[in-house]
Amino acid sequence: MCTSSTGVVVTPPTATEADTASRRAPTQFPFGHLTADAGASADPVLVEIVQGSLASVEMEVETAIGRTSRSPMIRDAHDFRAGIHDRLLRKLTGRSYSALVHPVARDFPIEEMREGDVFFHNDVYRSEGGIGHLPDLCVTVPVFAGPEGERRVVAFVQAFGHHDDIGGAVPGSMPSNATSVFEEGLMVPPIRLWDAGVPNRAALSIMTRNSRMPESLAADLDAECSACLMGARRLGELFDRYGVETVESCFDAIIERTTTTYRREILSKIPVGEWVWEDYAEHDGVDEPMLHTQRITLTRTAADDPDGERLILDFGGTSPQAKGPINHCGDYSDGVFLKKWLAPILRNLADTPERMAELDVNEGIVPLIEMRFPPPGTLLTPVFPAPTNARTFVILRLLGVLAGVVAKAVDGRMPADQETIRYTGVYGEDLEGRPYLMREVLGGGSGGRYYADGEDTIHVVPDSRNLPTEFTEARFPFRVESLGLAMDSGGAGQFRGGLGYEKHIRMLKDAHFMSIADRSILACWGVKGGLAGRPFQVTIDPGGPDEREVDALADAEPIKAGEVVRIRTTGGGGWGNPLDRDPELVVRDVVWRKVSPEAALADYGVVLTGSLEDDSLGHDAAATQAERASRPEPTEAFFDRGPGYAHLAAGAAAADVDWL
Amino acid sequence: MAPPTPRRIRIGIDTGGTFTDVVAFDEDSGELVTTKTPSTPGNPADGFMAGIDKVLGLMGLPAGHGDAISAVSHGTTVATNQLLEGKVDRLGFVTTAGYEAMLEIARQSVPDGYGNSYFWVKPERIVPRHLVKGVGGRLDFTGAEVRPFDEDAARTVARWFKAQGINTLGVCFLHAYANPEHEERMRAVLAEEHPDAVVSLSSEVLREYREYERAMTTLVDAAVKPRLSAYVNNIKARLSEFAGERPAGSGGVPFYVMKSNGGVLSADEVVHQPITTVLSGPAAGALGAALIARVAGFDKVLTSDGGGTSTDVSVVIDGDPTLTTEGSVGAFPSKIPMIDVVTVGAGGGSIAWLSPEGTLKVGPQSAGADPGPLCYGKGGTEVTITDAHVFLGRIPPHLLGGEIPLDVQAARDGIEQLASKLGLSPEACATGILEISAWNQANALRQVTVKRGLDVRDFALTTFGGSGSLLLCRLVDVLGLPTVLVPPNPGNVSAFGLLTVDVKNDYVQTHVSLADALDPSTVGGVLDTLTEQATEALTKEGFPAEQHSFVRTADLRYFGQAFEVRVAVPDGPVDQAALDEVARRFHAEHTALYGYDFAGDPAQQVEWVNLRVSGIGPIQRPEIRRHPLGDGTAPAEKGRRQVCFEAADGYVDTPVLWRADLAPGTVVTGPAIIEEFGSTVPLHPGFTARVDEFLNIVVTRTAEESI
Repeated sequence: MCTSSTGVVVTPPTATEADTASRRAPTQFPFGHLTADAGASADPVLVEIVQGSLASVEMEVETAIGRTSRSPMIRDAHDFRAGIHDRLLRKLTGRSYSALVHPVARDFPIEEMREGDVFFHNDVYRSEGGIGHLPDLCVTVPVFAGPEGERRVVAFVQAFGHHDDIGGAVPGSMPSNATSVFEEGLMVPPIRLWDAGVPNRAALSIMTRNSRMPESLAADLDAECSACLMGARRLGELFDRYGVETVESCFDAIIERTTTTYRREILSKIPVGEWVWEDYAEHDGVDEPMLHTQRITLTRTAADDPDGERLILDFGGTSPQAKGPINHCGDYSDGVFLKKWLAPILRNLADTPERMAELDVNEGIVPLIEMRFPPPGTLLTPVFPAPTNARTFVILRLLGVLAGVVAKAVDGRMPADQETIRYTGVYGEDLEGRPYLMREVLGGGSGGRYYADGEDTIHVVPDSRNLPTEFTEARFPFRVESLGLAMDSGGAGQFRGGLGYEKHIRMLKDAHFMSIADRSILACWGVKGGLAGRPFQVTIDPGGPDEREVDALADAEPIKAGEVVRIRTTGGGGWGNPLDRDPELVVRDVVWRKVSPEAALADYGVVLTGSLEDDSLGHDAAATQAERASRPEPTEAFFDRGPGYAHLAAGAAAADVDWL
Repeated sequence: MAPPTPRRIRIGIDTGGTFTDVVAFDEDSGELVTTKTPSTPGNPADGFMAGIDKVLGLMGLPAGHGDAISAVSHGTTVATNQLLEGKVDRLGFVTTAGYEAMLEIARQSVPDGYGNSYFWVKPERIVPRHLVKGVGGRLDFTGAEVRPFDEDAARTVARWFKAQGINTLGVCFLHAYANPEHEERMRAVLAEEHPDAVVSLSSEVLREYREYERAMTTLVDAAVKPRLSAYVNNIKARLSEFAGERPAGSGGVPFYVMKSNGGVLSADEVVHQPITTVLSGPAAGALGAALIARVAGFDKVLTSDGGGTSTDVSVVIDGDPTLTTEGSVGAFPSKIPMIDVVTVGAGGGSIAWLSPEGTLKVGPQSAGADPGPLCYGKGGTEVTITDAHVFLGRIPPHLLGGEIPLDVQAARDGIEQLASKLGLSPEACATGILEISAWNQANALRQVTVKRGLDVRDFALTTFGGSGSLLLCRLVDVLGLPTVLVPPNPGNVSAFGLLTVDVKNDYVQTHVSLADALDPSTVGGVLDTLTEQATEALTKEGFPAEQHSFVRTADLRYFGQAFEVRVAVPDGPVDQAALDEVARRFHAEHTALYGYDFAGDPAQQVEWVNLRVSGIGPIQRPEIRRHPLGDGTAPAEKGRRQVCFEAADGYVDTPVLWRADLAPGTVVTGPAIIEEFGSTVPLHPGFTARVDEFLNIVVTRTAEESI
């Protein structure tokens, strides 16, 4: 759905014109360059200095926000990002994702901006796809430079952070059963929050009045505004030192180099052709669990393609929009937000993990990716006012869909699946009778790679941290009896998936448990013969008289004092046939309590000898070889989704798209 | 004739990778002498003793006169290098049953960028999973026992480690910061069953909550213990032998080791807490520079210590370097208080290279001292920062005052090759390499100040170390700094710093309580216990009670926050007024650091988290002598050479001055090169250097009207 229908269509859709055909999302701000030679003549020394300064300013802005903001989501969970964009709205820095300047430039012509202006927005449907849910508050500051009297906008410093409450139906503004965006909080379309240095008090008081945490909302906004203004001053100095044209030539060079690098090191790894794959969210908080399909048809064009050598991602075949809040607004501004959100997955195609880590994702990847969206009314093209607060179910899954469809193109040389974001928590009254809410984001195992096993208990958001037992026990009325790894949760494979958590919390007082999680029925998929990991699972009173499973979308499951809640998070998918795994590594995994002796035989065909107790564990090489030889040929499906798939797919073992 | 009064000489000795720097101070005459000897990595004690010998000779003592040594303070990188090189021997870890996977889980965070979780490969854990054993028994956060210690399981574990031949063990039980009893019982069992084991207990290393960080800190402590103990004991024995007989009971010549927290500790004690030495060298440098800058009249100082492979920067306010408990060495986190030093990969040996994208990059890879830069002629194949300097004439074509010649042609060849790949002139390429390096340093200096809410332009910069002063004019320009100070003997600032530090021990106890529920007598009791521990240590160090001083601090936060702010606890008895004063200071410091506080908001409760006491035993500091100002006339030039400051301006005929010739009051206007043994200050056009009465070179921009 496109609300900015005045936009200019850059390239007419190339697909046959039918109502159901996918099409590009129009944009007012097509990709382009600032200088005639796209930075080719930029001084290589200055390019490095400008790039280093941009990274430093970005870090300084984030440090300042981290220092002075107040919401735990920003301060402790590091759920905020800064970004620097040029006057063509191109993102120049590349360590992380960020929102877009497009909605601001759409509503406030750049020529009319003044020094000291600060723009604000959080309105998902007016964000050009840059903001996913309302708690993400976004501040944009124009950077000015040039001689007195001729000063003009040369760049933008922007930051957004996940605030704890922006109103709506429930505390935290993330109602898991919302059916419209009106239940999710206050929507603010782009506004001029500071006018030439003067804050708009009326706007601020409307916003704070709508939050359950008005003081910290005000403090967070202050933190974002002052940090971005500081960053804008710093960046302005860089322009004044070297001159606008010189710096802009460096910007072009920085972006052009990313394009060239991705063309050389990433695009070259994918053969010309077309592949299709899909994956699913399993529930939306409103309807009964079902397959909410997200599909990508990937086309890699040839170097002599009239529209250029590129990847086309067509989301046609994606399910209708959900009633519940798992929708994501993707079909705006040529999909540039999603391009930059998804492109980090392509880094897995680089030659080594070290090189993958070096590759930045800035605007330079945009010309290499074309996005085509299905007509309005799907998970990725929701129609206002569809709810979106849990859109991570879709946009995190899309990372995996892209990894999977690329895996089909490159014979599996991509990581198997991971799922690392979910909220679990307990709440009630503590031993002194004060209300409390303990909410934590527990990661999971990453998928196996063609060069390494997946890692245990990691998280996709950089710097996001789990909560120490010694911290939570001092604060909340429970005891963490154990914090370990969920044995056998990692998908079996030649390279095993990483393990999820197994956490046992014993309540000292009656309380309620809450959880917002996907992947409790479906599992993280394995690839190229690797098996799926184990899904998310919560059990209360395991092994006790009142043992019971809790749904992954739970708002208020009662727990009694003395009962234990057992949380197991997802293991990553396996990579490659587990029967090809080095038996010594399987023995090691059993010693390390990552794989059970039973699974060593069942999944890996390894015949163990000796015992764990007296450190004599080993394997019988001949028996292992015989055991492995006796196993039937593995299924030819390229992906394994685990047993939960059949449950939601009317008994099917694999999807049509799972075959090469 | 009465025998001459024996001299009392205190020595600071800083062992680096290449050189051992020595400073000796005559406690009676105030005479200060500095020198350098080559380090001997094979057996560092050889270089150490050679340095002592050499400096005593320079002080006019005949060979073998060790009895004149009154004390030795030592900065060592033994523990640091072991950690940086990741050479950790086989370690075992004993923890609470149910937490055996603690090191596998860590804090779930993936470094750097978004998306890295897909390809990141975790580094090896400090202890592999099969060498981790759990033992039953459980405390709560107040230290109360929830389940008794499982003595049988402990015995089984101890025997198992013995049978496996694992002789270095770290022990970290949940909530041991609140009650060390279970850990102490574990140690007792180990002493019976596995008497050869070297053991570190978390409750002794760091009595602070957060189990993963405390466990890691404890394991790092255990890991460096065997090697550091052997090293320190070896040196102590050789020193005692050299220094000769001392009165019975005096414990031999006092031998102190520099700690990361900015204090020193006797060798006998430091072997029990080796992790406290991990930033020994950089801490001494920051302290030495801080003292010199303060005497010269600067209260807000950034220090920049440039070496062969990297540059260490830190922030000093009113003579006190800022401390952090969030430090790390190499891949290993350490929660021990340490001077907040940020290391930038910018040193003389940093390599200039072309990234796959075609960008010119400088560092962090370094050619080190071996093979070193191209101009060392020792087989180096890549252009380094030193090559750029020597090619441009910024440094003389030799090292250390002429002892080691440099191969300028080799540097030129390398730079010409790199320049042709970039399409630049060789001069533009060389100045470009230095410019990029200056910006890397500038960005690091900005970040250390922004992190604390400070403005870099309010600070004077002190540059020292072999390469620290080479780019100071560019840093002034890039950062807008008002002043740069180059201390005399810039290669010996760390060794000098060793002579300026007191004996200092830190004690911490986590005691979580809301301010409303806090009983002043409980706080007083905990602080008294910590003070007793500190007193005992100071007495053991030989300080009479009247010299003891104590600094009491508390870490507070607002209820619900996950980070604390440290403030001082007033001296005297702890009563309600004292607690209120601490809370007041907390609100004020919170605003200073983060821009807001909740002082007037009754809904936001203050929570106490950690109580800390530092015990300090003062030593006599060398006085920095004031010299009479001369008439300001510039001395005779040592020579002239062609130097390139700006590629566009080419080489300009530039006077070369010898620093020792510059009397206090001398004013030099750039362009000029000021050389001394082991260090050079290139003074760019547009800058003025003045020698102050403490022999510091003070560099500022030339005032507009005098250009």
